[in-house]
Amino acid sequence: MPALSQHQNQKGAAQVEAIAFTINGKKVTCRTGDSILSVAQKNGVFIPTLCHHPDLKPYGACRMCLVEDEKSGRLMASCVTPVAKDMVILTDTKRIVEHRKNIVRLMMAEHPESCIVCSKGNRCELRGLAARLGIAETGLYPMPNYKPYEELNPFIVRDLSKCILCGKCIRADHELVAVGAIEYNERGFSSRPATLMEKPLEESTCTFCGTCVSMCPTGALSARHIDFVGTPEKEKNSICGFCGAGCSLALGISSDRVTEVNPSKINDSVNGATLCVRGHFAHDYLNCKDRLGQPLIRVQSENNGPEFQPVEWNEAVSRAAESLAAIKRNHGPGSIAFIGSPKCSLEENYLFQKIARILFETNNVTSTGSINGQALLRRTEEKTMGAARVMPLSALERAEAIVAVNYDPDHTVPVSGYHVKRAARAGIPLVTIDSKRTGLAPFAGARIRPDPEADAEERIPVLISALAAKIADHDGHDPDFIKQFTTGWDVRKKEIDALLADLPLSPSEEKEINRAAKLLSGRRIALVIGADVMERKHGPQTADAAFNLALVTGGIGAQNAGIFIPAPENNTVGAMDMGMLPDMLPGRRMLSDKEARENLERLWNTKLSPDPGLDLYGIIQAAETGHLKGLYIMGENLIRALPDNSRVEAALKKLDFIVVQDIIENRTTRLAHVVLPATAFAEKSGSFTNMEGRIQAFSSVAAAPGQALADWRILGLLAQKMGYPEQYGTVEKIRQEIRRTVPMYSAMGNYRREWVKNAEKNTPFSQNDSRFEFSAIERINPSEKKDKKAFTAVLGALRWHLGSGTCTGRSARIEAWNRDSEARLCPSDIRSLGLAEGDRIRIKSEQGSVERGFISDPGLPVGRVFLPLGFNGNDAAALCSLETLKPPAPVWRTCRINIEKI
Amino acid sequence: MDPTQFDLDRLHEILEDYRDRKWALIPLLQEVQEEFGFIPPESIEPIADTLNMFASQVQGVITFYAGFSLKPKGRYVLRVCRGTACHVKGSRSILRLVKKELGLEEGETSPDYQFTLETVACLGACFLAPTMVVNRDYYGRLNPTKVVSVLGEYRKDKEDD
Repeated sequence: MPALSQHQNQKGAAQVEAIAFTINGKKVTCRTGDSILSVAQKNGVFIPTLCHHPDLKPYGACRMCLVEDEKSGRLMASCVTPVAKDMVILTDTKRIVEHRKNIVRLMMAEHPESCIVCSKGNRCELRGLAARLGIAETGLYPMPNYKPYEELNPFIVRDLSKCILCGKCIRADHELVAVGAIEYNERGFSSRPATLMEKPLEESTCTFCGTCVSMCPTGALSARHIDFVGTPEKEKNSICGFCGAGCSLALGISSDRVTEVNPSKINDSVNGATLCVRGHFAHDYLNCKDRLGQPLIRVQSENNGPEFQPVEWNEAVSRAAESLAAIKRNHGPGSIAFIGSPKCSLEENYLFQKIARILFETNNVTSTGSINGQALLRRTEEKTMGAARVMPLSALERAEAIVAVNYDPDHTVPVSGYHVKRAARAGIPLVTIDSKRTGLAPFAGARIRPDPEADAEERIPVLISALAAKIADHDGHDPDFIKQFTTGWDVRKKEIDALLADLPLSPSEEKEINRAAKLLSGRRIALVIGADVMERKHGPQTADAAFNLALVTGGIGAQNAGIFIPAPENNTVGAMDMGMLPDMLPGRRMLSDKEARENLERLWNTKLSPDPGLDLYGIIQAAETGHLKGLYIMGENLIRALPDNSRVEAALKKLDFIVVQDIIENRTTRLAHVVLPATAFAEKSGSFTNMEGRIQAFSSVAAAPGQALADWRILGLLAQKMGYPEQYGTVEKIRQEIRRTVPMYSAMGNYRREWVKNAEKNTPFSQNDSRFEFSAIERINPSEKKDKKAFTAVLGALRWHLGSGTCTGRSARIEAWNRDSEARLCPSDIRSLGLAEGDRIRIKSEQGSVERGFISDPGLPVGRVFLPLGFNGNDAAALCSLETLKPPAPVWRTCRINIEKI
Repeated sequence: MDPTQFDLDRLHEILEDYRDRKWALIPLLQEVQEEFGFIPPESIEPIADTLNMFASQVQGVITFYAGFSLKPKGRYVLRVCRGTACHVKGSRSILRLVKKELGLEEGETSPDYQFTLETVACLGACFLAPTMVVNRDYYGRLNPTKVVSVLGEYRKDKEDD
């Protein structure tokens, strides 16, 4: 069962016949079912189109693609007509051109004459066609179809007067992102794409993914710009700098800065023609006024306290190197810690941990990735023994069945959700297991929810185990797989049965589990599990139960099945793979693994400390106690991102020396002694590893602000100053080293896109004695009937912000949207708290409190509050305690709170 | 009684018969309209959920067909034929007279929800031109006197007698 070939073997097995026909006098062959248009395009014959898009089903609306069959004289829309044997197709006869001209003339007669001021400019496909066909004046009576201009939301401008009814926006909305916010209303001349009740977009189900905007052939839909007008000078491909989907972007560049974002047109990208609101609209943070452009050193001025003085690079880096070297000399290697970033590239993270481990001889290296998704990635790596690292999202659309556990794609990794929704719409069974109603609910064949009386986090592992047992009870499991590749199922099955005897299912739970078991019976499942599972109460149990479920169905290592983890940030996976953890070396090898350590010592020609370093909690604690003296932070706004931010801030203030290397001025840079301005992804070269295990290289497309340098360049300077003999002058040089030292990245950078390597040795698939082990069913005793007034708060993401919102919060468009920060409560809790609409509430935990408005969310269970992160300076993080970050799992996303009306 | 009110329980009873049968959208809409006299806008989302469709799609179908209405209609829906045969036989004057008599324009409903006035392209009864139909009752060979007397039949005060 070679999981490796998953992403290569995509061709359908259906037998197809070759047919021969003639197009513009040229003999060509194609396969049955191919449309005339697709064959023409493959053979370099141009046929104009307006409503056609390769990712959408053929529609045949615009009739621009008319062709003629010479034999029968018939005119046909080539996009919807399959090739028949011996056709003699002509694509450019006088008759066809005349028809095309008339079609365009009719469209133009209905179109407002505003080309001069239309922001679509020369990219307008209608205008392009008119020019190509030589139409200047329509010669028809103008009948413009005026519709109200809509621009109240900060993202999309709708001017449906310019709509030509190609239906691309509607089809993209339905077929690609499965939102269904718009559809044609009315008929004939008055028909237009409309939302439900013709409400403005912001009151509809629209998610502002902007997919329709990128597809619109005219100026009917366009991105709203804050400080830019016109057409970008050029378009360059890059990789999105937000979540772990790793979407390919086409960045529109004007005057060397990013002014527009569209999905890239390259083949086989993760996202195809789609994006999400962050990818499409939030990249305007790159041009925000808070970008750092000058190295700064903190000096003590006479009367004003500390202030920052601009200096040259040489001085700033020397200062950083000298001060850190002095701390190491005086207090030992353990007195300095390094915090990197899952937003920085593979090359940068590699270099960063190498500098820490070699030049400062410490394993105090980590990143906020360790409390954002990496806990689950690590656990899955351990359980699957590295045999299933390559998990292409496109496999979901060919899966036998999909199970989603605590997975809310609309607000975390939207593009992964598009794949799941498309799969479900195509008839692939989808089962969701979640305590709240997510955007997947309408697509799910079964929705397993904890009984409202029970504590959701305690109940979910039980429900997943019950589902696994139920599938086995109905002989829907995969006994061959279990026998050949796993161990421990019989024991676990008994444990589950005993567990269910003690904690029986409620009737509603039982009903949904039976329904789900029927749907999943005999199918190897693709499991999508929310990356924050480990950061909630009882996360390990939930993750283990889900892993058991995947094993029972034979879903590990099989084609189009396995465990998909929607990584929260663009390089969450890569930062882990590059060893940005205090107990893990590059290549997902444990620090405690002597062989791995010695191997790296040989390659690096150094000695490595075998003692695990401090994790995030340890670093803050050591700063408080004074054991830690120096801190080097790359690309992290620690004070905003960590729980209990006032404690973090106080701890950082105690440090002797802090270097912060970042792109934006923020709360953490203000505490630094040396601030080194870095460049964002669009302004540098590098590579990211996305949630699929796809290594994507990107290069610089925009100018760096001021004197800012790429993180890897700064690190190279630092290494040089520290006297390291190796020079890191190019990204390629670092890549070469990674290829050599990290076997799972041996293909990195060969092409724009490569994949990480699955483990080949010591896995159940490598034919030795190793087996996947079913995880023990850890019993969670139901907690005491809780205090009536106490709620559980779940801190999570809403699509507008990524993580703590340091970047997205600087996006002018996201800031202009500025809603949705309210806490979500279920209607019965609102009643029992005696809240009226418009009231404000104070949410208090042991750590701190925040004030919020609230909105009703019937999808939430009783006693739970959902609090979005990233808003209001990420104040919600103040509710949770730093102590929660201690091993085994960083359970900071759930906390006990009280609510009072203000 | 507010004619925009409708019995939600009854709606859910109807919906249950159609659950997950996506092909049945139009029969379902017809049944809803038959039951309530119009398709209440609030029913669009429950209908979409029942059939696993997007609410916007359901709305698209409703607004596409002239036969479906999102607004409550009068107790009596008058459709004056404006087909070719009726036009030749003077249906324009008939329509003008009906408008004047009822004080309604095309597509309008009287404030007391007694009448809705519509036109139709052909009723398929050209031999009776000019024609109109009130709910399901056909009236042919219309002339001004006949129109006034037909309308009189349906007026509220008449009904109360």
